[in-house]
Amino acid sequence: MKPQITGMLVAPAAALMFGVFVLPFLFLLVLSFWSQVPGSLGLDTSFTLANYVRIFGDSYYLGGLWTTLWLSGLVTLICLVLALPLSRWIVLRAGRAKGLIIGLSILPLVCGALLPTLGLVNLLSPLGFINGALKSMGVIQSSLPLLGNITGVTIGLVQAFLPLMILPLITTMERLSQDYEKAATSLGARPVVVWQRILLPLLLPGIVAGSLLVFCASLTAFVTPQVLGQGKVVTFASLAYQQAALVLDWPFASALAIVMLIFLTLAGVLGALVTRNFGRVA
Amino acid sequence: MRTRLSDALSLVVVLTILLFILAPILVLIFSAFDGGNIFRFPPRFYSLRWFEAALNHPEYRSSLWISTLLGVISTLIAVTLASLAAFGLVRGRPRYGLALEVLLLAPLTLPLVVWAIALLSIYAELGMNGTLPGLILAHVTITLPFAARIMIATFKEIDPRLEAAAKSLGAPPSAVLRRITLPLALPGLLSSTAIAFLVSFNDVVVTTLIAGAGWITFPVRTFSRLRTEGIDPTTIAIGAMIVVFTIVLIVVGQRLFQLSRRL
Repeated sequence: MKPQITGMLVAPAAALMFGVFVLPFLFLLVLSFWSQVPGSLGLDTSFTLANYVRIFGDSYYLGGLWTTLWLSGLVTLICLVLALPLSRWIVLRAGRAKGLIIGLSILPLVCGALLPTLGLVNLLSPLGFINGALKSMGVIQSSLPLLGNITGVTIGLVQAFLPLMILPLITTMERLSQDYEKAATSLGARPVVVWQRILLPLLLPGIVAGSLLVFCASLTAFVTPQVLGQGKVVTFASLAYQQAALVLDWPFASALAIVMLIFLTLAGVLGALVTRNFGRVA
Repeated sequence: MRTRLSDALSLVVVLTILLFILAPILVLIFSAFDGGNIFRFPPRFYSLRWFEAALNHPEYRSSLWISTLLGVISTLIAVTLASLAAFGLVRGRPRYGLALEVLLLAPLTLPLVVWAIALLSIYAELGMNGTLPGLILAHVTITLPFAARIMIATFKEIDPRLEAAAKSLGAPPSAVLRRITLPLALPGLLSSTAIAFLVSFNDVVVTTLIAGAGWITFPVRTFSRLRTEGIDPTTIAIGAMIVVFTIVLIVVGQRLFQLSRRL
């Protein structure tokens, strides 16, 4: 193919992604150093650090940041623990059902953030499925508080982002030959040792990729935390959303968004370091 | 004996995890048949009245229409642009091919809410907030990477020798495209169309920030109602219908063109 034709084919999509997706991130950075003219929608374009001072000087925002960070870490860990056996089973045992099971397990991904959350409300609410079932079986007398707290938000985020962990794990596992595992087992290694010495190091690239995706998604989620937390769980992304959509203080919302980006970058660097130092190449 | 026991045990574990993934969607469908005003388990009585209410509700009807319109237009543009770019990347092997691929797939890894906040303030400057072109531009941007990833994988799987053979036998480029490349790329095209449409139709994160008051899609209307008034059974009924539609699309896609293999 002639280079000119290749250029013509790729250019429209590349220009769109650069102009509409990449450039706004740069604008965001600039905007976060501006400020809102009080009482109006006008922007004061003189350089100021006020937005960042406000975030890091206020325990409300710092608290939100802290909650979001450990919540995202917890969600990532739970997703990893659930996705490892599931992906392994899908790759090794599912047989002909494999495609369908992968298709169904990505449902939360294509259903968007909202519809599964609606179902979760009815699953977890005081009159909902779980509490109703437990009460009619006589296990509990009064409803378990599963909504409007961290428990509900954690369940919702794990459910929403598990596919992000499953897909990279399946890809990594499919590339992995089973010979290493068989060799280790035949030499007398117990399952725990096989996991610890063979499987985990070889799967590490997939584990890191999946963990990063889940961590980033949880850190920036606001629909699930808002609906399942019922306003009682303050996460960083919902603070940014409120500032952008309801308070209309865009410079401050931009600064909040930039802080999220900084933590995502840190997570990415950490992931790269872990892969480099502990991963093994098959 | 021991392996059989551990097989059964691992099957139980796997099924439990799958059930956990699907539970919210199953409960959503189930609770749409609860006849009461607030879902309770077990329901006092079952009825189809919320489906009826949903189909007769003018606001939800217009929102569903807007979601569909936006989804169809954005999907057509995104799949076209993504397919052209993927074909160029795979067959033309441009010099900065990897960088271009990363650029096209960037929205899959970068946080959309951060981007939407930026887009909101840029749109405000340009007077594009709450306009249909603004929404279409945003939806093409979030759906294009899904289509691009599927189409890049699809073209990589098509043996270029098939195209070369047709050409050497005297077929003009248009005939090669029509008779060889397009039929072989069809499963990928259908997969990316399905995924792109679902992503656009169900998006709430980006749309809720830039939708304005004129073009309220179904997820945006549901989300704003949810924050002010809580859950409305009519929403549950529509949500259940959308979820069933999504499941049917995925299962049919899986049967006809191995949709999940391309994700």
